[in-house]
Amino acid sequence: MSRPPLDGIRVTDFCWAWAGPYGALQLAHLGAEVIRIESAKRLCPSRLIPPWPDNESGVNRAGYFNQYNQGKRSLTLDLKAPEAIDIAKTLVSKSDIVMNNFASGVMEKLGVGYDVLRRIKPDIIMVSLPGYGTSGPEKDFVSYGPPQVAQSGLSALTGYVGGPPMMAGFSYGDPNGGVHATFAVMAALLHREKTGQGQYIDLSQWEAAIMLLPEALMDYSMNGTQPERMGNRDPHMAPHGVFRSKGDDRWVSLSVRDEAEWQRLCEVMGQPELSSDTRFASLAARKENEAALEEIVTAWTQERTADEATQALQNAGIPAYPALDALDMVNSPHVGARDYFVELEHPEVGTRRHMGIPWTMSRTPCEIRRPAPCLGQDTDAVLTDVVGLSQDEIAALREKDILT
Amino acid sequence: MPGALSGFRIIECGEMVSAAYASKLMADMGAEVIKIESPHVGDAARQRGPFPGGEPHAEKSGLYLFLNTNKRGITLDLEQAQGQEVLQRLVKDADLLIHNVHPKHMPATGLDYGRLAAINPGLVMTSITPFGLRGPHAEYEASDLTLWNAGGLCFLNGGGPGTDHLPPLKAFGQQSGFTAGVHAAVASLGALFAKLRGGLGQHVEFSVQECLMGISEFGTMMASYAGMAVTRLGHKPIQPLDLLECKDGWIFICCVEEHHWHSFVDLMDNPEWATEPIFEDRLKRGESWDALKLLIQDWVKDFTVQDLYLKAQARRIPFAPVSTMGYLLNSEHLNARGFFVQLDHPEAGSLTYPGAPHICSETPWELRRPAPCLGQHNAEVYAELGMTDQDMAALQQAGAV
Repeated sequence: MSRPPLDGIRVTDFCWAWAGPYGALQLAHLGAEVIRIESAKRLCPSRLIPPWPDNESGVNRAGYFNQYNQGKRSLTLDLKAPEAIDIAKTLVSKSDIVMNNFASGVMEKLGVGYDVLRRIKPDIIMVSLPGYGTSGPEKDFVSYGPPQVAQSGLSALTGYVGGPPMMAGFSYGDPNGGVHATFAVMAALLHREKTGQGQYIDLSQWEAAIMLLPEALMDYSMNGTQPERMGNRDPHMAPHGVFRSKGDDRWVSLSVRDEAEWQRLCEVMGQPELSSDTRFASLAARKENEAALEEIVTAWTQERTADEATQALQNAGIPAYPALDALDMVNSPHVGARDYFVELEHPEVGTRRHMGIPWTMSRTPCEIRRPAPCLGQDTDAVLTDVVGLSQDEIAALREKDILT
Repeated sequence: MPGALSGFRIIECGEMVSAAYASKLMADMGAEVIKIESPHVGDAARQRGPFPGGEPHAEKSGLYLFLNTNKRGITLDLEQAQGQEVLQRLVKDADLLIHNVHPKHMPATGLDYGRLAAINPGLVMTSITPFGLRGPHAEYEASDLTLWNAGGLCFLNGGGPGTDHLPPLKAFGQQSGFTAGVHAAVASLGALFAKLRGGLGQHVEFSVQECLMGISEFGTMMASYAGMAVTRLGHKPIQPLDLLECKDGWIFICCVEEHHWHSFVDLMDNPEWATEPIFEDRLKRGESWDALKLLIQDWVKDFTVQDLYLKAQARRIPFAPVSTMGYLLNSEHLNARGFFVQLDHPEAGSLTYPGAPHICSETPWELRRPAPCLGQHNAEVYAELGMTDQDMAALQQAGAV
């Protein structure tokens, strides 16, 4: 009864960098056995960049990799060798899902394109999620998560009033592309469960990011206009922003959604007379005089810590929250009380705090059962238990330097 | 040809983005979605726009039209006992009820999983909540902006030369809602898969804050691996990864791998400064970015965006244009893939919408119907529940529909 939803589902995971691994992470969260194929000869960039504990680098010590590969197994294979391709094919024949986020055409060149894999496993579900998708005139272009924020249109829409375009997140295109791919895979898996039919899914990370800004796209579609950058403001709410609070670079966010909340904000700030001030008597008036309004709010917030301001505003039913930085997040008493953080013993980094699963299920609990794998940690176990090789065969492959 | 989720019956009680986006993704894959809105005003997304000509109209909001394609819409007041009775009849044959009603209002709107599961043990109910159903902040009010801050994402953006005094900067639009919606859809399909195998439903509790923390990128790991808080101020660990200005717009320059950088240096005709030790590898370029950015900006400024984009891509350097909406809608690549679709709506007329981010070989994605007008499918859906004209009249009398 307490098995996770995807218990018994196996994923052959050719993904690397971030988008694909983030998508496969969601499948691991749901209980799938995700076998990640890696190679020391072409290491995943997420194993090579900081942060590392004590700033001491190491392929198994990178926080990036260890966050986004929790719960997975690692099989090292040099896919340039024909024997490695045979092993990958055998693995696929025993899998339900194949994921990759290589540039378009790479899987075909390796000899593991969908046309090959469907002959090995007719009901396989395969998803490719290159930046541009696998068709169209720019299909061979290369992409990463950070440029997708610009390319999707988000950067042109994000920025301070009158200022240049800005980034949203750091590499927001990656988790977004990955999770949209996982959504399509899950739909395909339900379809397969009902009909027995597998399929191939071509997901464009660029398109997945455009899904995030329909207000702007529909505005252009309706009116031919490109929305102006408006910082933290909102066309339908005021005040609406991130305001300076007590401390060094500390801030609190708040949104006043309607007139009743505006009245209550005036009371919370100890200035009930403001609510009858004609400059602020309606949303239109507050939008008109927004700079003056923001000065008044700042005068109140900067005398308080972000927590104090949040508490006072929440007591009055007004949405507010401190602008958390990463240290605030990993030390959050609220999130800590919810068992979201995952701290499993890892052989090279010890016990570190990782972000866990953002959902709970009442009947089929999801949990992260193992930390991210060290490079090649599961090679022997996978080759023996899943691929079905003997110890001698594994030793011979190792001798030929194929298992690194 | 049926869609991947044909045959699944989904009830959505969604305001604004998160639940509506989750069920849109499912509806566009073939699921049969019934959206419940409160009588009179309906979903708040109807008031948000954008609107044609900037004129507010409840049936012409671009956000609503996008989020609710392929759904049927009914009105029902869940705060009334009669409304909750109708909800119970609706969930009887449903596979999934997905909502983003605030935890404080769940009891008063009949969203009690135990009671609904007694009617339909196969029901999956997904509750998308700002901070979860338990914990000290569970009852906190939230907006898209405050959640983006609660998930640590706002703190990463904004700032830069001359603007360090400005606040952390939110991303455009309703990013907390969209990101939560697609993740909640994944979790919901997971629970539906368990139901297909085992026959029983369950309650899926979803925290938007935790979801956003989980994508907050190198921030959380910097904290737990290096004890550092990454902010919008200071340096990114690796560079170039930044927005620069060309002569006709902006471009994102990106050298993640060393070979990208070498190709870029070659594209710039190997300037002497590129050999300086302070620019030797991506980490050093991160530390020296203030100096390096000026040098690169000076070279970039004479190009058009398209010229530089195509030159870089020809060398497999992952630069990207800072797209405007007009650029996207006119993109040959996106149009060749059929990404944008034209859809006719009785009130809003024929408009171009973003389509599907995926092409599935065996199960089509399609827009079968535009977003519903408020209460458009009341008669149809209530008749399917076996309700008579008299029942309907009584509900209307009570103001429940």
